[in-house]
Amino acid sequence: MEKVLAKKSFPQWVKILSSYKIFAPVEKENLWNYELIENPEKVNLDYLNTVLSPKKIIFPQREIYLEFSAENEDGLKVEEVLPDEKPSVIFGVRPCDAKSLTLTDKVFGGDFEDIYYWSRRKQMALVGLSCSTPPSPNCFCLTVDGSPFSKDGLDVIMTDLGDKYFIETLTKKGEQLVSTAKALFKTPTEKDKKDLLKIQQEAKKLIKRQVESIKKIPPKLKEMFDASLWDEESMSCIRCGICTYLCPTCHCFDINDEVDSHSPLKGKRIRTWDNCQFPDFTMHSSGHNPRPDKASRLRQRIMHKFQYFVERYKNYQCTGCGRCISQCPVGIDIIEVLDKVRDYGA
Amino acid sequence: MERNTYIPKLAKITHVKEEVSGARPIKTFRIEFQEKNGFSFKCGQCAMLSVFGKGESMISISSSPLINDYLQFSILKMGRVTSSLHDLQVGDTIGIRGPYGNSFPFEKWKGKNLIFIGGGIGLAPIWSVLHTALGKKEDYGDLMLIYGARTSKDLVFKEELEELRKKIKVHLSVDVEEPDWKEFVGFVPLNVLEIKPSPKNAIAVTCGPPIMIKFVIQNLEALGFKDDQIYTTVENKMKCGIGKCGRCNIGMHYVCKDGPVYSWAELKNLPQEY
Amino acid sequence: MVNLEDLKKEASAVLKDEKVKYVIGYQKSSNGLMPAPVFINKPEDVEKLIWNPTCIHNLTRFLTDERQRKIKEKHPDERPVGLIVKGCDSRALVVLLQEKLISREDVYIIGVSCENAGVVDEKKLAKKFKDKKIERIEFDEKDNIVVTTKDGKTKMAASEILAERCLECKANFPVIYDVLLGEKTKRQPENPFQSLEKIESLSEKERWDFWKEQLSKCIRCYACRSVCPMCYCDECVVDTINFAVTADTTAEEKAQKIKWLEKSPVLSENFVYHFIRAIHLAGRCIDCAECERVCPLDIPIRFLNKKLEKAAKELFDYDAGFDPDHPSLVASFRDEDPEDFIR
Repeated sequence: MEKVLAKKSFPQWVKILSSYKIFAPVEKENLWNYELIENPEKVNLDYLNTVLSPKKIIFPQREIYLEFSAENEDGLKVEEVLPDEKPSVIFGVRPCDAKSLTLTDKVFGGDFEDIYYWSRRKQMALVGLSCSTPPSPNCFCLTVDGSPFSKDGLDVIMTDLGDKYFIETLTKKGEQLVSTAKALFKTPTEKDKKDLLKIQQEAKKLIKRQVESIKKIPPKLKEMFDASLWDEESMSCIRCGICTYLCPTCHCFDINDEVDSHSPLKGKRIRTWDNCQFPDFTMHSSGHNPRPDKASRLRQRIMHKFQYFVERYKNYQCTGCGRCISQCPVGIDIIEVLDKVRDYGA
Repeated sequence: MERNTYIPKLAKITHVKEEVSGARPIKTFRIEFQEKNGFSFKCGQCAMLSVFGKGESMISISSSPLINDYLQFSILKMGRVTSSLHDLQVGDTIGIRGPYGNSFPFEKWKGKNLIFIGGGIGLAPIWSVLHTALGKKEDYGDLMLIYGARTSKDLVFKEELEELRKKIKVHLSVDVEEPDWKEFVGFVPLNVLEIKPSPKNAIAVTCGPPIMIKFVIQNLEALGFKDDQIYTTVENKMKCGIGKCGRCNIGMHYVCKDGPVYSWAELKNLPQEY
Repeated sequence: MVNLEDLKKEASAVLKDEKVKYVIGYQKSSNGLMPAPVFINKPEDVEKLIWNPTCIHNLTRFLTDERQRKIKEKHPDERPVGLIVKGCDSRALVVLLQEKLISREDVYIIGVSCENAGVVDEKKLAKKFKDKKIERIEFDEKDNIVVTTKDGKTKMAASEILAERCLECKANFPVIYDVLLGEKTKRQPENPFQSLEKIESLSEKERWDFWKEQLSKCIRCYACRSVCPMCYCDECVVDTINFAVTADTTAEEKAQKIKWLEKSPVLSENFVYHFIRAIHLAGRCIDCAECERVCPLDIPIRFLNKKLEKAAKELFDYDAGFDPDHPSLVASFRDEDPEDFIR
C-alpha cells in the first residue's frame, strides 16, 4: 500500500512501535552509525550513509556460539548460546545496504543454515530510505543491478518529499508496521505521486560514477589469474581491513575460543569478523600461505566479488555503496580497478 | 539436517597410538561418541575436532564408514590446536562436528583397478578409501598401494601395512638411503614411474604434501592417466567447515564443502591457490 | 615556493639515469580531493606527480613493503627507491635508519619543504566547505591557503585549515635528503604539545570515560597499525600467529605463542591493543598522525602517541627521528636518566 507520513509525525510512528527493538542511524561527532534507539523522539533520517552498514546488526562483529565449562563432577558441558529473538525494525536503510542483505542471505542460507544469522534476520523488518540524491560521490549502485529506489530486501521504502515521506509497503511485515500506526498515515495525493516520480527520475541521473560494460568483467576475470595488473594495483595497499569491514556484502569470519578460567575450564566459542586482506587470513599452521602477498589478496577481493560469487550465486557481490572507495587510506578505487580489468590487454 | 551444526557433539578418546615420534609427531586417535548417535559419513569426508579452550581443527576421517564402533583420525602435530590434541589421552573428552565435505565417488569406480598413492601423513585420508574398497573387494579390480615417507620412522600405520601386504600389492619407499631398507629409495613420484601402474581401466587416488601431489599427477599423466582418472584431496586453512567463513575459498568453491575430494579434471580448472 | 615542475624534473632525472627502481610520490586520485600514492618507474610518468597541501600520506610506509619484496625475490633489484618526503616523513625515515630496518643506500630522498605551512585536515575542510566540491588547494606566496571551488577562490590563513600536527611541527623541512626543494624555513611552535591540553585538563574519571567511549567504537580494522611506518614487526604482539614461521619452527613454539588479546572488538581488548601499540611506539612515533587520519571511526588515537612523545621529551630530552646515528630511545640510556623507579 501507498501512504504519506508528515515528517513531524515520524518520531510518533517510531514510538508506537515500542514493542519492537528499533535501530536507526544516530550521529555522534559527525559520524553516523546504526544504534539501538532508546529515545524515539530523537530519531532523525537526515543523513547520508552510515560508516558501518546494517549488516552489523544481523551479523554482529562478535557473536557467542557456545559456552563450555568443566566446573562440576559431570565433566565437560557444552551449551549453545542463541541471540534473543525480539522482533526488530531497522529504519533508514539505504537500498544498496538492503540489497546487500539479500546477498549475505545466500551465503548464510543454503546447506547448513546459520542459525545465529537467521534468528536475527527472521525477525528483522527493514524500512528503507530511498536516495533522492546519492549519499556519496562514489555511489555506483546502477552499475551492479541496483538503484537509488531499489526495493530488494526491504519491507517498506520511504522517500523524502520535503515535509513528508512517501511510504510504500512491500511485504506483509511492512504492512503490519504501517497499520500498527494507521492514524498517522494519510493517502497520497496526485501531487505526492507526481513528486515521487520526478524524484525517482532525477535520482538516477545524479549517480555520476559507473563501470561501463560490467558484464564483460566476470568472463574476463576468469582469464586474469596471472595478470600483472594485481601487482600494479596493489602497490599502495597497506593491507588494513577497512574495505572489507565496511563492505555491506563481505561476510568472512573467524571462530576462536576465549577462556575465562583455565582450571576449572570455562569459556566461550566466539565468532568475529575476519578479513581476506589480512596477511594471516589464509596462512596454514605450517607457515605456507596460499595468498602471501598484497597482489594475490587484491586479486581475491576482486575475483570473489565479480567472478566467483557471480558464478555461484548469479549476482555481483557488490551493491555500489562506495564506502571502500571513500575510506581507503591510499585511494585504491574499485571502479578504477574494474575499468582496468575490463580494458586489460586491449 | 541438524538445527545448529556449529555445536560439537562430545566424544571420548578410546585409543591413542604414536605412529611417528620426533620433530613431526603423528598420533592416531580412536573416538567413540558419548551417546550412540549414528554419526554416518562417506569416504573422504572430514570432521572438525574441538579442544575446548584451544580451538578446532578439520581432520579427515581415516577409518572406513563400514566400521560403526569408532571414528579414527591420524593427526600431525603442527600448531596450537594439533599440539593440544596430541596432549590428549585415553578417556579424555573432545568435541566433534560434521561430517563435512564431499566424498570419493565410489559408484564411478566399480570394476576398475584402484591405485592408492600416498606420502607421509597423506596415507590417513587414503586409509578410509582403501579399507572401504577392501571391504567390498568384489566390486573393484586390482588394488595397489604406493606409499612413502621421509624415513622409515615417518611411515604411518606400520603394523597395519604389514597386514595389508597379505591382501594387496604394497610398494613402500623412503626418500633417502638408510641401513636395512630393502625397498625403493627416492621420492614417491619417482616410485610411481618405477612401478608403471597401467592407466587401463584404472583410477588413481593420491594424498600427501602438495609438492608430492604435483609430481605424482605429472607422472601419472606421463604414464597415460587421463585427468578424470586421478583423484586427490586438497588441504586448506578452515574454520567454519560449512562454506561460510570464506577462509578455504578457492575460485567459486569452498574446500570444506565442495571439496576436499577433487578429480584432477576439476582441480586444474580452479585457481591454483592452495 | 616549491615548484611542481622542479619536483618533476628531479624525479625524471633520477629515473632517466636509472639510479632508482621507481619513485614514490603523490598523484591525483580517481575519487575525491585527497591524492593517492603513485609508484613511477618511467621518466615520462612524472607528469602524474602533484604537490599541494593535500599531500598528506607518509610515503616512508612503503619502504617496509620494499624490504619484504627484496627478501622474497631470488634476484632482487638492489637499486634504491626514490621517495618524496616532507619533514615529518623524513623523521620516520630516520627512525627506520636508526633501527637498521633499512640502510641509507636503500633510498634516494627527494625532500620537499612545507615552508611554514603543512597539510590540510580533511575534516576541517569538510566543515568549512560542506557540500561544495573542492577543485584545487594551493599555498600562495604569503603562506595562505587558497581553496578553489565552483563558486570561486577562498583565501584563509593556513592555521585555520592545517592538520593539528602541522601546528605543532618540529621539522618544517626534511631532516635528511639527497636533494631538497623549497626553503629551509624554521618554525618553532610555542607549545609543541598544545593539543594535549584539552585532554590533560580532564580529571582522571573524565579521561577514563573519554577513552571508554572512544575505544568502544574501534572495529579492529588495524588501519592505524597498517599505515604506520614504524609498525613493521613480523611477530606482532597483537596477532595470534607469528609471520616469521619457517619449516623448522616446531609445533611447541607455535603453540606457546602467548595470546595477549582476543580477536573480539570489545572494550577490554581494544584498550590493550591501542595501549600496547602506543607503548611500542614510545620514542619512535614522529607524529605523522596517519593513524588518526585513516581511522574510519575517527578515534583520536594521536593523543596516546603524543602523550608518550611528551613523556620521552620531559623524562629523557628525546626527540624521535632527527639523527640516524643516535641510538633509539629504548635501546640506550644516559647517566642523567631519572632513576626514581629504583628503590
